[in-house]
Amino acid sequence: MQDHIIIARDVWLTFGRGATEVSVLRGADLTVDTGCTLAITGPSGSGKSTMLMVLGGLERADRGEVMVAGQDMMALSEDELTAFRGRQLGIVFQSFHLIPTMTALENVAVPLEIGKVANARDMARAELAAVGLSDRANHYPAELSGGEQQRVAIARALAPRPSLLLADEPTGNLDEETGNEIADLMFAAARERKQTMILVTHDLELARRCDSVLRVSDGRLHEASETGVAA
Amino acid sequence: MPLAFKFALREMRGGLRGFYVFLACIALGTGTIAAVNSLAYGLTDGIRAEGQSLLGGDVSFSLIHRQASAAEESFLRERGNVSVAATLRAMARTGDGGQTLVELKGVDAAYPLYGEGVLLSGRGLQTALGGGGERTPAVVEDTLLETAGLSVGDPISLGRLEAQIVDVIEREPDRLSGGIGFGPRVMIPIDALERSGLVGTGSLVRWRYRLSGFEGPLDDGSLAGLVAEANGAFPSAGWRVETRTEAAPGLRRSIDRFAQFLTLVGLTSLAVGGVGVANAVRAYLARKRGTIATLRSLGAPGRLVFATYFTQIVLLALAGIAVGLVIGAAAPPLAGMFLADLLPVSGLFSLFPGALALAALYGLMTAVAFAIWPLGAAYTVKPTALFRDDPQIGKRAIGGPIFWATAIAIGLLAGLAILAAYDRWVAMIYVAGAGAIFLLLRVVAQLIVAGARALPRSRSTVVRLAVANIHRRGALTPTVTLSLGLSLTLLVTLSLVDGNLRSTLTSRLPAEAPSFFFVDIQDREKAGFLERLAVIAPGAEVQSQPMLRGRIVALNGIASVDWPETEASWVLRGDRGITYAAVPPGESEIVAGEWWPANGPDGNEVSFAAELAGELGIGVGDTVRVNVLGREMDATVSNLRTVEWESLSINFVMMFSPNVFAGAPHAHLATLTFPGGGDEAAELAVLKEVSETFPTITAIRVKDALETVNGVVSDLALAIRAAAAVTLIASVLVLAGTLAASHRARIYDAVILKTLGARRRTLVAAFALEYMLLALAAALFGIIAGVVAARFIAVDLMELSFVFLPWTAVGAVATAVVVTVGLGLIGTWRALGEQPARVLRAL
Repeated sequence: MQDHIIIARDVWLTFGRGATEVSVLRGADLTVDTGCTLAITGPSGSGKSTMLMVLGGLERADRGEVMVAGQDMMALSEDELTAFRGRQLGIVFQSFHLIPTMTALENVAVPLEIGKVANARDMARAELAAVGLSDRANHYPAELSGGEQQRVAIARALAPRPSLLLADEPTGNLDEETGNEIADLMFAAARERKQTMILVTHDLELARRCDSVLRVSDGRLHEASETGVAA
Repeated sequence: MPLAFKFALREMRGGLRGFYVFLACIALGTGTIAAVNSLAYGLTDGIRAEGQSLLGGDVSFSLIHRQASAAEESFLRERGNVSVAATLRAMARTGDGGQTLVELKGVDAAYPLYGEGVLLSGRGLQTALGGGGERTPAVVEDTLLETAGLSVGDPISLGRLEAQIVDVIEREPDRLSGGIGFGPRVMIPIDALERSGLVGTGSLVRWRYRLSGFEGPLDDGSLAGLVAEANGAFPSAGWRVETRTEAAPGLRRSIDRFAQFLTLVGLTSLAVGGVGVANAVRAYLARKRGTIATLRSLGAPGRLVFATYFTQIVLLALAGIAVGLVIGAAAPPLAGMFLADLLPVSGLFSLFPGALALAALYGLMTAVAFAIWPLGAAYTVKPTALFRDDPQIGKRAIGGPIFWATAIAIGLLAGLAILAAYDRWVAMIYVAGAGAIFLLLRVVAQLIVAGARALPRSRSTVVRLAVANIHRRGALTPTVTLSLGLSLTLLVTLSLVDGNLRSTLTSRLPAEAPSFFFVDIQDREKAGFLERLAVIAPGAEVQSQPMLRGRIVALNGIASVDWPETEASWVLRGDRGITYAAVPPGESEIVAGEWWPANGPDGNEVSFAAELAGELGIGVGDTVRVNVLGREMDATVSNLRTVEWESLSINFVMMFSPNVFAGAPHAHLATLTFPGGGDEAAELAVLKEVSETFPTITAIRVKDALETVNGVVSDLALAIRAAAAVTLIASVLVLAGTLAASHRARIYDAVILKTLGARRRTLVAAFALEYMLLALAAALFGIIAGVVAARFIAVDLMELSFVFLPWTAVGAVATAVVVTVGLGLIGTWRALGEQPARVLRAL
């Protein structure tokens, strides 16, 4: 196993042109050890979600170096990035982003089916059971509560056994109690599967549960001194 | 099951919201094409199946002016059962002094060889015509009873024949072999024709000898043998030979042409529907942006996402096509019920897989051609859409493969439209025209947007809002301009063609047009007749001309049937009226060559109508061989002259030098023209006097004849309008769909503005102004493009003159504005009346 699952150096990213130009990332650096958990915090618009997207290959940096799981993300084509994401990354969103026309089970099975896994439905059923939703397998997202939807989303992210789990404000749309349950679930899964997990969050309580916390400001990542955790 | 198909089926659980217009457009277009082609196939099948009864035999030998010679007739009678029928136009006079032009037919005892003549009373035709009595029995069509106020049992006079109506014809099996009738049918025994005095030298009588085998129908081989033998034995008979396999060729040609025209109308509705397809797909993908981005973030490659949505579109298109095919399959039997009296409908009561397959192919290819481009957006949606509203979405360049796939699909659709067409040249022009209109409308939309952007900012909130709505990102301008522009182009085109067709037939009757054509004037009565006309219509201009009928057998030694197909091929097909003259007609101008000397040329010479000669590809010095009265004669084209067919005066394609027909028996044709046009009373007085004094001369009143033609044209126009209505429904659906697609965003904007203090009246006025500006711009385009298209159809295809009808255009503009503003404001008005918070929550 490698020591560092993520190595990002001098990452720059600018949106828009001319008057509307905004430099979101300005030479950001980040190194993440395999198997650890990291929280990225910062005010709205600071670029924390953008950093997550760059790490997930959802956004391409203008320049800099981004290595994830030993793969140079800058060298991959759009289709190669997609395939890489399907194999190595699990993503959990604030708004769940379940496909409304598919049942909970089908939603969890999607990445496995895309990855041409033979027993996709059985594996999906097992993942749903792991998040405690066996009895909701045939329900559509609209028939599930917010917390249940996020559990399905977590099961979906974990199903392909990714080496890296990225989560963007995973508890942002949930009440405190449900949010805590979801956080427990994610941390337990990361621990059991020895997965690396990166969270973007405003929630300092949630951030403190991570091995390390970084704060985005001025387009760079800084140690979050108030947490006492070193990057 | 392929993954894309699996995902597509799952996605379709979401229902058909946003796809009703899509389905309706595909169903309507496919249905129209399926119905039109099924009808054409069915009618053609019917003609083939009923060929024998339509023709009246396995084979028909028809002669004009003369009966078959004894040798010819015995030749035929040795080879099968023969039935002889003679048809001509004549005046039927009633006891109260009325007179009506009728299509008279004399039939023998063997008539009909095939099919059955049905009479109202239910008794047999031969029984009715074989009845004895003082007067000759006649069976008539009910229109004669209606127009002349007659009933069964009443006497009528035909020439010098006293007849009595004994029954009413319900069905005449070979009715269609006679072409358009200018009057109701009257049928009498053929031997009575001799007594009528209507059959004289050179009378316009067509004698038909129909033949069937002694022991049932002749097979194709013996039929071909018989025709070859007959033509070999009597090479100069000049008869027209038709076999059952080619019965009613004119009708079949008309059906083919009409089907092609209606197919083009159907294709137009598909093309308009295609805009609806594209709009629906674009709106659907916009709604599915989240799902697509999710799939992409989970590792789905672009091609899988594209395949998933492409599969859905194809499945939906197949559903629309299925509905269209049901409509198409139901049309022939339904039409059969209504057309039973007019056309051979026996073929209509079945399915026409070929026609349905063609329609399905058109439907599918339209859906694909119009869906691929907007589906290309599936490639451009990136997973980042899940995190933020990406302004670049929809602006990213769609890749080369999508462009080429679209180009190939459109190319295939155009190719199919051209290949499947009856007249490929017309289809090519149609495809090019449709393509040009699509491109131009895009340019127009861009100009409108650019124009709105360049306008100075108005102080009026209403104007400012309206103008901003026209040029803002995601504005309705391109789609509304396209759907409305297409519908208006169509509306203006069809209205102008319709209007010009009607005005050509009605108002273009020239003031100097004759009131009457008199045919079958015998030599011996010509002088007396002309004198009488001078007495009963003093001041009227009378022209008379010798009149023969003959066929062009060959041009420059090449048989007519082998002459290359041209616009003027009709001249070579049937009998033509021909005449001779020593001097050129006053209204004609000699445009090539010279008229023969007054004392006659040395050889046989002919003057040909210049325009037709040009189309046929002949000129001065070429030879024309005609068969008249069983004699073949060659004549050299010595000059070409202009002919004003629209003047309705006596016009002939060919005028021969007098020496060609010296001694040939013939009758005369005369016209009578009242100065400044005749009034009803004067014309009826002439009609009455002529038919009483000269019972064997047939008077054709031009106004009545035109009315008959108008009736036929009106029926055709009705069919065109019905098909056009389908297209207009498709365009209104597309427009409604376009406006509905933006409805939510529109209400959202409106409610936000209302929250900020904008009054309902202000917002509605702004929206109405926006829709009105778009409608006016589209209307302007529609009028220009419609006039160009209508002019092309009227002048180049239908050979009519073209007049711009401003009120028709104004009507189209008004319709466009009312429909667009009306559809646009539906819903918005109601939503604005409610509390903002409630509306926002519901959105």
